[in-house]
Amino acid sequence: MIDNLTSDNLFITLVGPPNSGKTTLFNYFSGKNYKTVNYPGATVDSAVANLQKKFNINASLMDSPGIISLNPETDDEKIAVNYLYKHPKLGKPDLVIVTVDSSQLSRHLYLAKQIINSKFNVIIALTMVDILEQKGFEINEDKLSEIIGCKTFKVDGRSGRGIDNLLSYINDNKISFKEETILNNHSANNNTDDVLLLYKEIEKIEDECLVEIEDKKNINLKRANKQLNLVTNKFEKKKCNQIDARTVKIDKVLLHNTWGLVFFFLIMSFTFTSIFWFAQPIMNFVSYIFQNLADEALNLAGNNWFGMLLSNGIINGVGSVVVFVPQIMILFLILGILEDSGYLARGAMLIDKPLSKIGLNGKSFVPMLSGFACAIPAMMAARTIPNRRERLLTIFILPLLSCSARLPVYTLLLAFLFPGNKAWIAGIVLAAIYLFSILSSILAAAIINKLNNKVIKAQDNSSFILELPAYRRPEVKVVAINMWHSGKLYLQKAGPIILVLSICIWFFTSFPNIDPKVNTDNISQEQVNELKDSERLATSYAADFGKIIQPVMTPLGLDWRVGVALISAFTAREVFVSSMALIFKVTDSRGSLMESMLDAMKNSKIGNTEKKLFTPSSIIGIIIFFMFALQCLSTIAISRKETGSWRIPILQLIIFSGLAYFLSFVAVNGLRILGLS
Amino acid sequence: MKTAADLKHGEKVIINCVNSKHPSAKRLLEVGFTPGQEIELVNRSTFNDPIAISIRGTVIALRRSDADCIIIA
Ligand SMILES: Nc1nc2c(ncn2[C@@H]2O[C@H](COP(=O)(O)OP(=O)(O)O)[C@@H](O)[C@H]2O)c(=O)[nH]1
Ligand SMILES: [Mg+2]
Repeated sequence: MIDNLTSDNLFITLVGPPNSGKTTLFNYFSGKNYKTVNYPGATVDSAVANLQKKFNINASLMDSPGIISLNPETDDEKIAVNYLYKHPKLGKPDLVIVTVDSSQLSRHLYLAKQIINSKFNVIIALTMVDILEQKGFEINEDKLSEIIGCKTFKVDGRSGRGIDNLLSYINDNKISFKEETILNNHSANNNTDDVLLLYKEIEKIEDECLVEIEDKKNINLKRANKQLNLVTNKFEKKKCNQIDARTVKIDKVLLHNTWGLVFFFLIMSFTFTSIFWFAQPIMNFVSYIFQNLADEALNLAGNNWFGMLLSNGIINGVGSVVVFVPQIMILFLILGILEDSGYLARGAMLIDKPLSKIGLNGKSFVPMLSGFACAIPAMMAARTIPNRRERLLTIFILPLLSCSARLPVYTLLLAFLFPGNKAWIAGIVLAAIYLFSILSSILAAAIINKLNNKVIKAQDNSSFILELPAYRRPEVKVVAINMWHSGKLYLQKAGPIILVLSICIWFFTSFPNIDPKVNTDNISQEQVNELKDSERLATSYAADFGKIIQPVMTPLGLDWRVGVALISAFTAREVFVSSMALIFKVTDSRGSLMESMLDAMKNSKIGNTEKKLFTPSSIIGIIIFFMFALQCLSTIAISRKETGSWRIPILQLIIFSGLAYFLSFVAVNGLRILGLS
Repeated sequence: MKTAADLKHGEKVIINCVNSKHPSAKRLLEVGFTPGQEIELVNRSTFNDPIAISIRGTVIALRRSDADCIIIA
């Protein structure tokens, strides 16, 4: 990503307070699509990209997490400050672009001034000018540039307005940015008096540069006020410090003293039920297409090993996972709307008190919500939690939340439990599974919190200070791009693994006895095929391996075939579905891929007996297993990275996977005792 | 001594000073809670904690224990 590091290559760093529009600008410059969210603390890692060719400037650009000042408190802020002074690869920046939200002038200039005082080459990018205009004010850029001591530009990273000026200024001054400067590392204010002094200075600057947009009425009003002298100043200040009127109105409802939490739970429940209901029709369609493709492939290639590899190994294996892309995209669509609206910070505020009772923090809410998408970004999002203990505890419980990779597994199993006209129940049960994953994670946190210092050591002051950004109508473009990318990412992440694993599993379940000899007397061609399929599997490499794991599976009412699927799911949970499709040989076409898979499951028996393999109790057992087991190697790796040692990931692996097996065992056998087969 | 944690819903006051011994003092000053600024309690969460206070044209949610270091009278 970082190439052509020649001497005329500029290294530009974007810095600014949270939610000031850094990532929006970064995306505009680089043509990339990093996530922009209406929540302070959405970017938790730095990213580097080259400036797009069309801008004709040879430069690398860095985006960074938002910081309030040069004194970092959380891990994401530490990254931002350290990388500002010295990027591990690119070193010291030639130029720092500080984003300043114009509607938050004094609060945001505070950081800008600190950075200027540190002797960086600075340009200020004034964002959100439109919002300030709505309040009836504008900034006198020239005056601001003059007083604060660096060039300032009004920009809008969403439309690109004003960015040309900024770029041509950079282009004109390339050479002077390259000159060696000596940074002043200590200008970060170290005591509270310094903070006050700096704010005094900033307030003066604000007073001089913020001007009311004058329409006719205002001019008259101003003239009248001028004669009353002092009044003008006070009047102006009050008005520009007013908070967004619409936001106040919405918060009267959503942050209502008693109803706030009720709305919170309603919004969350709606989110999870709708994933299932909206996606169902699209999924049926995709599933139908893949089944036809697989049939066609088998017809064209013939019933030989190549045809089987193509239709069973590749098309069905991959198809069984692609089917779930619509669902993943809808999950991200709804999360995206929530993120862009500004509600997330309110959610964090509402849930802070309950979460603090179990050793978490209101700021655990956003990582937990992202945990429903994937535990990996979720664990990184936990960087915004200042208190180390609360942060580690949040990371600890994240694997319990129902990530999107589990969605295909649950959907398949629930479709088995609630077929045909009972499908609507599946939607409700899915919501219940999500709710239960929240409950179990909370319970886990509470228990570990009680164990106190044994697992995670207690540490310093716990606090919750979070800006509530103004509400905004979610932008179609932002939300749609976000949805599109998460669909793509899901395929990119899962695709290659699934392709490789599908072929592996196909190989191990088909060889060495690819063309078994069976007694073909007096039976139809269809029966011959079925017999061959089962004979081939029974004498395969996978079956040899299966005999070893059979004893572990028997207590759960399952056999080695499900065992193989479960083990393959340790690479990525979705693989469970494709493995099932392969092992239970979904070749004959009866409508869609999903339908023939469910048929194959219905007809499978345990070993040589007549006992059905998949019964309500054994399916519930598998669901429970997936709810708890830590089956994802990438999660273990990121947990190691974010917590700084192997202690927590190993504990997570042992506790959650052990619990999964134990609870699944209890559920299956409990249900059987109660009479549910 | 009255602090921001004692504010009533909708009550507007001017910050007198910030208790610099409090562990959250530095952060609160940095986000803009400096003496002389006008603040207002705009929302309370369901359990009356955290509270949302408007300052310098924005709203900041904070726990009562954090608000305790903002002295208003
Ligand atoms: N109204 C308005 N919104 C903007 C502007 N620039 C960015 N935004 C929005 O502000 C939010 C925060 O932007 P983001 O780039 O994620 O900020 P970051 O936290 O500094 O990276 C996003 O929802 C953007 O769409 C602007 O100039 N005007
Ligand atoms: Mg960002």
